[in-house]
Amino acid sequence: MTVPSLTSEPPRPLVATVLFLTLAVSVTLPVVLLVLWSLSGRWSFPNLLPNELSLDNWWQVLGDDGIGRAALNSLTIAVGVTGLTTALALPTAWAMAKVPMRGKRALEMFILAPSIIPGIVVGVSVGQVLLTLGIAYTTFGVILVQTIGTLPLMIRLLTASFETLPDELIHAARSLGAGPLAIFRHLILPLAVPGLMAGGLLSFVGSFEEFDKTFVTGAPVIQTLPTKLYTYLDPYSLQFPLAAIVSLILLLPVLVVFIAAGRIMRDDLMAGGMGKL
Amino acid sequence: MIGLHRRPRLELMLLLLPGAGFLAALFGFPLLTALLGSFGLVGDDPALTLKFYARIFTSTVLLRSLATSLYYGVVPVAVTVVLAIVLALALRRHFAGRKLFNGLYKIPMAVPGIIVALLVLTLIEQGGFVDRLLLPLGLKLPKMVRDPWGIGVIAATTWKQLPFMTLVITGAFAAIPEDIRHAARTLGAGPIRAFLRIELPLALPGITAAVLLTFIGSMGSFAIPDLVGAPNPLPLSVRMVRAFAEGDMSQVFAIGMVLSAFAFAVLIGYYALTSRVGTAKGDSR
Repeated sequence: MTVPSLTSEPPRPLVATVLFLTLAVSVTLPVVLLVLWSLSGRWSFPNLLPNELSLDNWWQVLGDDGIGRAALNSLTIAVGVTGLTTALALPTAWAMAKVPMRGKRALEMFILAPSIIPGIVVGVSVGQVLLTLGIAYTTFGVILVQTIGTLPLMIRLLTASFETLPDELIHAARSLGAGPLAIFRHLILPLAVPGLMAGGLLSFVGSFEEFDKTFVTGAPVIQTLPTKLYTYLDPYSLQFPLAAIVSLILLLPVLVVFIAAGRIMRDDLMAGGMGKL
Repeated sequence: MIGLHRRPRLELMLLLLPGAGFLAALFGFPLLTALLGSFGLVGDDPALTLKFYARIFTSTVLLRSLATSLYYGVVPVAVTVVLAIVLALALRRHFAGRKLFNGLYKIPMAVPGIIVALLVLTLIEQGGFVDRLLLPLGLKLPKMVRDPWGIGVIAATTWKQLPFMTLVITGAFAAIPEDIRHAARTLGAGPIRAFLRIELPLALPGITAAVLLTFIGSMGSFAIPDLVGAPNPLPLSVRMVRAFAEGDMSQVFAIGMVLSAFAFAVLIGYYALTSRVGTAKGDSR
C-alpha cells in the first residue's frame, strides 16, 4: 500500500534552483577563478577580472624543468602505487572474503587503521624505517609510503566484490577440472573487474593527489605536483598564477573520475569501501 | 570453505601475507617504533621517560596546540553535519537535474586539501574575489584567513567533507524503511516531528560513524591549517611537522602518539557502531 501524497511528490523548482545556485557558487566559481588566475598576466586589486589575459603563465609552466619533473614523478608514482596496491590487495581480499578465519574483525580493523591514522603521523613513523632501509627520499620509497594509504580502500572494495561471488561457481569449475590458476584467471579475475576498476581509479587519483606523506618522506628530493604546489603557496612568496596552473593539472584526473567514470563509481561500491554502513 | 589447496592454514597465511604483511611491516611496525620512541626507548641512549608527553600536557604552547587541534576537529564537523542533513533531505526530493547534481556535488571529496586551501585563499582572503565583489557596496570582508577563529580552516574543511558526510547520511536515511515514516505520518506526526522523533534517531548510528571519521580527518590534517590557519596557536599536526623539520624526533613521536590515540579511539568507536548497525540489519552489508 502506498500513500500517494508522500511518495509521488511534484517536481520542486525551488529546491533545484537553490541547490544548483549553491553548487555554482561553491564549486564552479572557485574553479573559474583558478582558470582566470592561470591566464592572468596581471590582476591587481580591486579589479574583478584580470587586467590582461595571456597564456604566458602556461608556457612558462610547461617549459619549466622542475614542474615537468614533478609531473613525471607524479605519474610514475601513481602508476607504481596502483600496480603495487592491486597486486598486494588481490590475494588478501580473497582471503578476507572467502576463507573462514578467527580474528577476522581485528584484522579488518587493522587494515582500516591506515586510512584513519593521520597521514603525517604515518609519514614520520615510516620515514624512519625508510631511512634505515636506505630508500628514504627515493621514488620507490614514496611508492611504498603512498601504498600504505591506498591499500585499505582497495582491499575493502575487492573484498566486497569477492563476497558477491557465489561459492558454487568455484566448486563447479574445480569439479570440471580447473586448477587454482585457471580458476583465478578465468573466473575470479573477470568477476572482480568492477571492483578492480573502481579500486584502481581511486588508488591512482589518491596517489596523484597525495600530499602529507609524500611531503614528509619524499620532499624536497622527490617533488610531486602536490608538493610543488605547496612551495608556490608559501605565504612569503605566494604565486597565484603558477599555483592555479598546477592545481588545474592536478584536478584533471579528478574530473575524469567523476565525469567519464561516473558509472564505475557507484554509490554502493563507494559505501562498501568506506565502511559497512 | 573455498580452499584452493589442501593445507588451509598455510594457504590462508600465504593469501593474507601480501596485503596484511605489507601493512604490518610499513605501518604497524613503524607506528610501534614511534610509540617506543615517544617513551624515549629508541635511539643511542634508550631510557624510559614520560617527559615528551609531560611536555605536551604541561607546556602552555603545546596545550594550546592540543586545544586548537580539537577545535579544528570539532567545529568543521559540527557545521558539516548540519549542512549534510539539510542536503541529504533536499536530495530526497524530486527535482529537475537531480542525477546531474548527484554526480557533481561529490567532486570536492576528491580535491586534495592543498588545493582547497588555494581556493579559500583566492576566494575569501582579504583582497580576494569576495572582498573585491563587496568593495563597490562599501563593505569590507573581515579577516577570514589565518584568523584567530580559524574561519578559513573551517570553511575549507567543511567544503571538503560535506560530500562524504552527505553520502553516508543519505545512505543512513535510505536504509530506514519507508513504511516507518509513513506510519508515523498516518498516526498524526507532522513532517518535522516525524523527522526529529523517528528518522533522525534511526539514522543516528550511521551519522555518528561519519562524524567520527571526519573528525579525525580534520583533526589530523596538515595542509589546510598550515596554509590558511592562524600562525599561532598551531594545531598539533602542524607543530609535529615543524618538530620533524627540526629533527626533534622524540617530540614528533609523542605528538604523533597523541594524534594516534584519538584516531584509535575513533577506530574502535566506529567499529562498535558499524557492527551494531550490521546486527540490527541482519547482515553487515
